[in-house]
Amino acid sequence: MSGAARSARPLRAASAGNGVLLILIALLIALTLGMAQLEPLFRALFPDLGNPLYARDSFLNLMLAHIGLVLVSSLISVTIGIAAGLFVTRPVGREFEPMVSSLAAIGQTFPPAAVLAIAVPLAGFGFTPTIIALSLYGLLPVIQNTIAGLGTVPQTTLEAARGNGMSRWQILRRVELPLAMRVIIAGIRVSVIINIGTATIGSTVGAKSLGTPLIAGLVGNNLAYVIQGALLVGLLAIVTDLLFERLERRYAFGV
Amino acid sequence: MTPPEGRRLVGNRVLTTLLVAAVASVALLPFASLSPNRLVSGQPVMLWQALAGWQFATLALIGILLLVAALAGPLPRRIALWLSLGATLPLLALDLQALGAYAHRALAEASPAARVSQGATFWILLFVSALIAIDALQRLRLGPSGRALYGVAALAVIGVCFSGELLSPLSIMREFANQRDNFIDQLVRHLLLVAGALLPALLIGLPLGLLANRRARLRNGLFSVLNVFQTLPSIAVFGLLIAPLSALGRAVPWLGELGVSGIGVAPAIIALVLYSLLPIVRNTYSGLAGVSTGALEAARGMGMTPRQILWRVEIPLALPVILSGLRIVTVQAIGLVVVAALIGAGGFGAFIFQGLGQYAIDLVLLGAIPTIVLAVIADFALQILVSLSRPSGTR
Amino acid sequence: MIELQGLTKTYAGKNVVEDVSMTLETGEFGVLIGPSGCGKSTTLKMINRLVPLSGGRIILNGDDVTELPAEQLRRRIGYAIQSTGLFPHWSVARNIATVPQLLKWPKSRIDDRVDELMAMFHLDPAEFRHKYPHQLSGGQAQRVGVARALAADPEVLLMDEPFGAVDPITREALQAEMRRVHRQTGKTIVFVTHDMDEALQLATRIALLNGGRLVQYDRPIEMMVKPADDFVREFFGQADLGLKLLSRRWVHQYQRPPSLAHHATLPGLDHCWRLDDAGRPIVLEGARLDDQHRHTDVRAEWIATPEMSMKEALSRMVWYRVMVLPVVDGTGKLIGEVGMQGIMGIESDGGLHAGEPAS
Repeated sequence: MSGAARSARPLRAASAGNGVLLILIALLIALTLGMAQLEPLFRALFPDLGNPLYARDSFLNLMLAHIGLVLVSSLISVTIGIAAGLFVTRPVGREFEPMVSSLAAIGQTFPPAAVLAIAVPLAGFGFTPTIIALSLYGLLPVIQNTIAGLGTVPQTTLEAARGNGMSRWQILRRVELPLAMRVIIAGIRVSVIINIGTATIGSTVGAKSLGTPLIAGLVGNNLAYVIQGALLVGLLAIVTDLLFERLERRYAFGV
Repeated sequence: MTPPEGRRLVGNRVLTTLLVAAVASVALLPFASLSPNRLVSGQPVMLWQALAGWQFATLALIGILLLVAALAGPLPRRIALWLSLGATLPLLALDLQALGAYAHRALAEASPAARVSQGATFWILLFVSALIAIDALQRLRLGPSGRALYGVAALAVIGVCFSGELLSPLSIMREFANQRDNFIDQLVRHLLLVAGALLPALLIGLPLGLLANRRARLRNGLFSVLNVFQTLPSIAVFGLLIAPLSALGRAVPWLGELGVSGIGVAPAIIALVLYSLLPIVRNTYSGLAGVSTGALEAARGMGMTPRQILWRVEIPLALPVILSGLRIVTVQAIGLVVVAALIGAGGFGAFIFQGLGQYAIDLVLLGAIPTIVLAVIADFALQILVSLSRPSGTR
Repeated sequence: MIELQGLTKTYAGKNVVEDVSMTLETGEFGVLIGPSGCGKSTTLKMINRLVPLSGGRIILNGDDVTELPAEQLRRRIGYAIQSTGLFPHWSVARNIATVPQLLKWPKSRIDDRVDELMAMFHLDPAEFRHKYPHQLSGGQAQRVGVARALAADPEVLLMDEPFGAVDPITREALQAEMRRVHRQTGKTIVFVTHDMDEALQLATRIALLNGGRLVQYDRPIEMMVKPADDFVREFFGQADLGLKLLSRRWVHQYQRPPSLAHHATLPGLDHCWRLDDAGRPIVLEGARLDDQHRHTDVRAEWIATPEMSMKEALSRMVWYRVMVLPVVDGTGKLIGEVGMQGIMGIESDGGLHAGEPAS
């Protein structure tokens, strides 16, 4: 995916109702806590497997580790990304704006899995390279959408704010950021969704996540493990996406 | 806003920042590393330890030229920009040449198992020259042809450095030499997977986009379904397709003979098609929706048939947006094929995951770097195609 | 000739056009006017079947339009709209050539036709042929739009508020051009507008619609002097009906020979023109409302031309406080004068029919 289509996102998928979201959240929690209760089902589905339930770690631990990875990396991306986006849209940093924009656009053509792999020689195996790769990669959509969002604030609105005697800081806080927020959140949404996916592959470089049972299942030819991991991580992604959609809508001022 | 030109010391703050970063990296980070064998991590080698005298002098000269270009005083603005753009090519060449020359020298006196790898400063110098070039190209406002010309020149420099024996003693190049046949196979496989996914995605996505444009009621449902696929992590989709496909392959023997089974190419292609549909459908729809109603009404009013309106008015006007969609999915598919290696589909991802499994960093890079290069080249090529498809009247 | 017979359009059970019947003879300039939502645009679009008919018939030169294939019908009818609808990816020449190309005219004939139309609309082919719509001004784009509509020499030209989106000055120029083109080509034109001044400038027949019904269909002057009901009267605006009448009359109908010797303007006032060697008026003696200005330098702002409307001439007299305006020809030579007195004294001159297209 490249930037243009993302920042614009003119087409909102029809939003699922509150009911659908609640059911999905309940399902996510129930499966995380109660996967073990489904053992008979998996045994029936895969009679050939000796061990049809991933048991090396609890699914709750895996889920928390996965969310932790995404949360930490997303916090880093969002903080740095918004700060960078603000810097290049102020008079001091405007000179850097074209460079930063094209860097963000080019960077997003890099496949996330390849970025993750390149982090290994730099930072070794485990949690750290995954966090580095996720933060770096997640940074790009946030920067891009911060710049785009601040750019959508109409010049006339800014003039009116200046004309009413607001200081630069007040203009930023009361006018620009609220108006840009929807687009910025759309960027964070893209960033978080990509990170949920990439964190899954993080288990190949030794970071614990929901990808751990999935990859273990692929390597050990255990389809039940694969389904258990895929189901949970898929649900997590969908629920997160729907929550972000709701958040975005809150900032749609008649747009 | 900015003070008048003459009173400023620094004319180009971006270039100045990049130069500072490069100097800091030269001072603090290793240029290469030397290790006794393939699996042990190496000793850091700083730039000044690796470079011969003339190389260092050349590097210093390039640095001084770039510094002059960054200052406000000495040169007119455009000349300074052309100078900085031009300086990136020797910088690129020197970076590669120095690494290769160092590897030749260091390995001549070491054991045959010893390996030389590139270090952080090597990458940073490469990166800095790319950024300087991007900055200069943007400030010079060169069109697509100018950019393409610079791209060809940079590729020529890289090509010359790779053509001879210069870089062959590098660890990653030895890995490449070991894997040469396999590398070509995986490259072809990678590209075939991408093409094999894009073709059906276009065949399905373009009509769906047209349908979404024509039938408002279908649109929302269609986009929500396709959005779900974009949201799901790729590895989860690959994984979830295994069970139904292997069941299908067993239940329908002729499909099984065609290679439809749980792992390998079939689930990879299916998942990639599902991923590619949303951008194609969305961009086809938006491209068509962006055609002005005035033009459509006029076309109808002047007696064009629906088919003539579609082919003569709607498609030419929507083409740039549709091709941007193709650009998105091509780059995306090149990245997703990496992950498909986990279900045995092959491609560069095979090197990456094999390398991660064996803790063989060079093998990881042998998969990761070509994938990135492939993605960037595809992006650049399709970007040029998009700008060419823009009718001259609407640029 | 276009005949609308009991034309009806129903949307969601509601008649937006109801039982409209009217006949427009060949060569007439018919204007559909009315408040927004009155069905004027819908009526227009039923003629080329962009909007399908719910009831009634439309006869175009003897053919029932519903019996012709829609595309074939539309190629016989020119169509110009407010947003111009120019194809942004085609050059001006190719845009104009749209319908001739659909009709598969030979290339040389298309080229000739494009040049002819560009000349008719004062667009220099050398300059404009290869331009793209986004390089044109609003007025130029609209000219190209009308030229394109006329390209295949259609039997009828339909225009849907074509000048609604351009600035007032450009609009006036376009209206003047449209009058000239109508005179030159003798095309039957159906024109939708909500601007009464525009309707009075252009129409030889006005159809006033309200709530989907045809309220009155008549010559412009008759609409003003014999309104069918209060709605018509109000729509035409009682207050400045006199001025509206003057907007349908032209200076050439009122002008008289210039007084080159002193001549009584009004009792107690007299005036005469002083000319330069080329016969251009330079000074007006007398004819001012105040005695301080015995000699007034003639200024370009208060000169009249024979094609100017009397409304405009009156406006200039009032604003520059002169009782007479010089009427000059294209070279600036004095050919007549028009005065306050003249405005009052024309009734006997068949003024009711003033403003019909001069043959």
